[in-house]
Amino acid sequence: MAGLELLSDQGYRVDGRKPTELRKIQARMGVFAQADGSAYIEQGNTKALAVVYGPHEIRGSRSKCLHDRAVLNCQYSMATFSTAERKRRPHGDRKSSEMTLHLKQTFEAAILTQLYPRSQIDIYVQILQADGGNYSACVNAATLAVVDAGIPLRDYVCACSAGFVEDTPLVDLSHVEESSGGTQLSLALLPKAEHLALVEMDARLHQDHLEGLMDAATRACKDLHAVLDRVVREHLQEVSTQLVE
Amino acid sequence: MLLKAERTLHLKSSRGKTVRVVREHYLREHVPCFSSLCQASCHNDGKLLPGNVTHYIVPDWKVLQDFLEILEFPALRGVIFTQTACQSVQHQKGRKQYNRLRSLLKDARHECILFSNEFQRYSYCPREKGEAMEKWQTRCIYYAAVWYYHHLAGQKPLVVITEDQDAIEKYGSENKDIYVISIKDYLEGFWPDLKAAHELYESIVQSLRERESESQEKEYAEHLPVEILQAGIKSGRYIQGTLNVNKYRAQVEAFVRIQGSANKNTELSSDVLVCGGKQRNRALHGDVVAVELLPRSEWRGRATALSQSEGEDRLAEELQSQTMPTGTVVGIIQRNWRDYVVTFPPKEEVQSQGKNSQKILVTPWDYRIPKIRISTQQAEALQDHRVVARIDSWESTSLYPNGHFVRVLGKAGDLETEVAAILVENNIQVPPFSEAQMREMPVNNPESPWRVESEQELERLDLRETHLVFSIDPQGCEDVDDTLSVRRLANGNVELGVHIADVTHFVKLNSYTDLEARARATTYYLADRRYDMLLPILSADLCSLLGSVDRYAMSVMWELDKSSYEVKRVWYGRTIICSSYKLFYEAAQALLDGDWSVVEQIPELAGLGGETRQEKLDQLVWAIGSLADIARHLRAKRDRGGALELEGVEVRVQLDAQKNIAALVPRQPLEVHETVAECMILANHWVAKKIWERFPHQALLRHHPQPRQEFFTELVECAKAKGFTIDTCSNKSLADSLDRAVDPADPLVNKLLRFMATQAMSNALYFSTGAYPEEEYYHYGLALERYTHFTSPIRRYADIVVHRLLMAAILRDKGEELRETPGSNKELEELAQHINSKNKAAQHAQKQSTELFQCMYFKDKDPVTDERCIADAVIYSIRANGLLVFVPRYGIKGAVYLKNKEGLVVCVNPDGSCEWKPGTLKRFQDRISSTTADGSETFPLFQHITVRISVQASRSHSESIRMEIISNKPHKASDPQLHCDTPHPARADLVREVIRSAEEAQQAEEQASRAALAGENQEYCQTQGKSLYSLLEEIRELALLDVSAASLTP
Repeated sequence: MAGLELLSDQGYRVDGRKPTELRKIQARMGVFAQADGSAYIEQGNTKALAVVYGPHEIRGSRSKCLHDRAVLNCQYSMATFSTAERKRRPHGDRKSSEMTLHLKQTFEAAILTQLYPRSQIDIYVQILQADGGNYSACVNAATLAVVDAGIPLRDYVCACSAGFVEDTPLVDLSHVEESSGGTQLSLALLPKAEHLALVEMDARLHQDHLEGLMDAATRACKDLHAVLDRVVREHLQEVSTQLVE
Repeated sequence: MLLKAERTLHLKSSRGKTVRVVREHYLREHVPCFSSLCQASCHNDGKLLPGNVTHYIVPDWKVLQDFLEILEFPALRGVIFTQTACQSVQHQKGRKQYNRLRSLLKDARHECILFSNEFQRYSYCPREKGEAMEKWQTRCIYYAAVWYYHHLAGQKPLVVITEDQDAIEKYGSENKDIYVISIKDYLEGFWPDLKAAHELYESIVQSLRERESESQEKEYAEHLPVEILQAGIKSGRYIQGTLNVNKYRAQVEAFVRIQGSANKNTELSSDVLVCGGKQRNRALHGDVVAVELLPRSEWRGRATALSQSEGEDRLAEELQSQTMPTGTVVGIIQRNWRDYVVTFPPKEEVQSQGKNSQKILVTPWDYRIPKIRISTQQAEALQDHRVVARIDSWESTSLYPNGHFVRVLGKAGDLETEVAAILVENNIQVPPFSEAQMREMPVNNPESPWRVESEQELERLDLRETHLVFSIDPQGCEDVDDTLSVRRLANGNVELGVHIADVTHFVKLNSYTDLEARARATTYYLADRRYDMLLPILSADLCSLLGSVDRYAMSVMWELDKSSYEVKRVWYGRTIICSSYKLFYEAAQALLDGDWSVVEQIPELAGLGGETRQEKLDQLVWAIGSLADIARHLRAKRDRGGALELEGVEVRVQLDAQKNIAALVPRQPLEVHETVAECMILANHWVAKKIWERFPHQALLRHHPQPRQEFFTELVECAKAKGFTIDTCSNKSLADSLDRAVDPADPLVNKLLRFMATQAMSNALYFSTGAYPEEEYYHYGLALERYTHFTSPIRRYADIVVHRLLMAAILRDKGEELRETPGSNKELEELAQHINSKNKAAQHAQKQSTELFQCMYFKDKDPVTDERCIADAVIYSIRANGLLVFVPRYGIKGAVYLKNKEGLVVCVNPDGSCEWKPGTLKRFQDRISSTTADGSETFPLFQHITVRISVQASRSHSESIRMEIISNKPHKASDPQLHCDTPHPARADLVREVIRSAEEAQQAEEQASRAALAGENQEYCQTQGKSLYSLLEEIRELALLDVSAASLTP
């Protein structure tokens, strides 16, 4: 059997998308009442849940406390049932600690932490179903959750992955495209100012192609921003009508 | 931006386990239909289905898998390939078939399109639970056809071709304008006259049937699945490489050339030997295979003996050299099957093959290919014919591959058939130019002569008045693609100009002419004919820069410093020129030497009288003189960089002799040749620089890789035998040491050494700059950092590509929008590979056609009595049971046996004549000695001996030259004219004579009128075409070619 053709001569990807098209996105905010903020997002078949607590006093060791801004505590995990084969994933394996760090970095760039000195904000994210673009789903879910918690942000953080196949940038990679072994770029963007919160690339890419790939990812992030914004506005409307009643 | 999304479930198993995988599947309303009849304003760009056909064809997945060849007929227009069917081909038939399908889709000459039915919302049908894959695919394809029918509002009936009887019954009556029929019914119903398709159909069906009814006995080990192979190659357990079968020992010996340096197994520096048919495990010559090494105790050596026939295997095994890595083929990564020329066995043998006379074992023309089993009823009718066959499969249960017969070439032994066979074997297709291509061409005849268009006059720089432009070519040349100009500027500097025919003005990108030229990639020169890349109206008329007519050109002009000739400024662009003189080399040389007598031979000057003539002459002489001066400077500069003089005076002759262009090269290499060549190299070099600067990752350049040091071992050893040392560490030192290695007593020694040096090198190749690191752009032979081909667009497609790139670079310099963006790196690299392979094929074909003519020449001569069959030969390599010799008189290389089949060896009588006697042979590094009861005789390298040449007839292969030693003394040629220094007249005679005799045979059969035409052909065929520069370039290319290396050193 010949290898899978990720991009056909007619310009279709394996799942029928064009190179610049995102997967279908569905999101909800405020899914848990107990937490300060929560959100659920589906990007294609990738499903993520994010929960935010805080800002609150520092829990545990006081030595972590920062006098000029809030401490950000993130945790990433994958559900045992999230992949095709059920697999126990203990906390603290290398992959998820890396992802945790990435999330922390991303949100430290976006949340106005200096407004809450000597306090702590917790962000917990779990992947319920993994089908490529885990990091971006987590960031997008967490953004919605942070918004839901009412924590001030510089801007939405929108994240999207992009790959490079047959000299063409593909955005929002699915699992099949990710596992083909090509280059993958994850980008977290503050879309209004076009500030980069995080860029990560695995595998090599020729310098000349980087610009094109970044452009494609940036555009995808902006598209995502439009979707997230609509979700937030819809949620707000819902909440405000509830309040009126 | 958002689309309607639906999801489907796909069940998929990978690595043995069944895993449930959920994949998304996005559907859309607008999927282009690519039909010119579309009324729904689909986004159709690119190839469209024609509107003027009676119906559209929708082949089923099964039909596409098995009968793709039939669908390739250009007569079948309006074929819709569905995505479903294409995917099934990709999954079940492998990459080769799929790529074939893809190239068919890309081919603008074939009217077929791909419809992505699975992404179309209304033509997609999800697979139902429990529905068989095949049924689902058929259903998808049928509904795609239904959608198409409605999409075009019923304008065209559709024909779904399927081999599935249930489907025909089920869907046949559903819609009256959508026919569901089998391929047989289709061909009979719609194309009763397309006989070739019917024959092909029968042949394919028969071979399919055979495959099913095969016995289950295993002849070979099964191949491993791809996943295991790939994992094995990664871990270093298996080795991936291309299989090369030894031509002379095709049954037993094959080598796997390891690909890439990424191999972890560092001890494997050499090739891997694959011994015997079982271990080769159904791999064919050229396939990419995976081999597993055998334990060291089972390693064997390659045979060093020359084998006379296949029966000699046992004898050869005794004479093995040291062992080398030996392996066995465990799987095939990529098949490289092509069309093969085959011959049916003689009638007696057919009967002895027994029970099933339907199946016949045919013998391929190429020794390296095993016999092919084909099923046909025409075996008897095609007894003495050469036919083309294709291989379909090779199951592990079958001793031979199964194939089917495609078409007949003609009677074996006929000149035309043999030439056609050479073309097929080298995968060269040269159909006559089509009507559509003719229509694209501008008109130029006496009634409506072609003129310079006025808008072009504005766009181009007009050099007609300001510059003295002239061309220097061989006498009688028709296609002049390069001209030169030189003049002194007002500031005292010199301006040098090279003006190349502007082919791209006439050949637009993706026009029919362009597609054809791209497919051919080069003009093919055979011994007696040539196949042009472009239509004659272009190559011999509108693009040819003839004298005294206005022509379009692409020019490069340099301003050179008046004394040092350093380049001050360079200008590239389109121009209009009018060549003042069409000189030939001898005349130009005479003018350069100050010999005025030649003036009468220059038509442009001959007619003039007195003063004007002298004035014009002075002007021309000055121009040629300064050109020569500039060229000398350029050459010296390149020499300092280490340019290789491989086509040195002597070698030029020798190599020509090998490659049969000798007849075109003038006897004396003149300085003007060098001058013209040097200017062309300069132009190529600067154009390469320009396009590389503008398009650093998508420029088409040409590089010549550094040769590997170990390949020089034989050369160094040979030189040592004669007392010379060869330093191979750089191109400069190699060039210098080759210059020193001259034996005053025997000029052939230097020639042979240079020949060996060229054999050790690899070919110069085209490449796209994005595909290689910058260090590898270097041209080793010319000692230039950047090089490309720009100066012969009439006969090389690469030059056309470079012209387009240069034009794009110029436009971009001006800041203009590009009308046609240059192709991406990937496309360009693909194109470069294609051109490289076609060039290689062209060279092979040329070599083979030369050999064909050599054989035809000697065929009707009696080797015992005819003086012409006895010649002088030089030993240039030693083998265990014989010698490899070179015959300067005919430019033939071949083997001479010192030991015959009965085990007798050559014994030399005191007068030099040779006899066969019992004895032994002993081989040394630089000599071989035969010992018999009467004494012993030694043959050192470079000794001259006398050989008798005869022709070994062969039924299914090409005939070959055989040489026999008759004396160990140099042969005294009775005719001094045939001395080795001047082999070209002899060779020209040879070709001419063969043609003549072939014609005589034809004349006897055919009418006289045809013969007259052929006579003309005979007279002119050798002098047509090719400017000398192109010739030199070609020699240079050939010099860097190792076509014969593989075959001469088994």
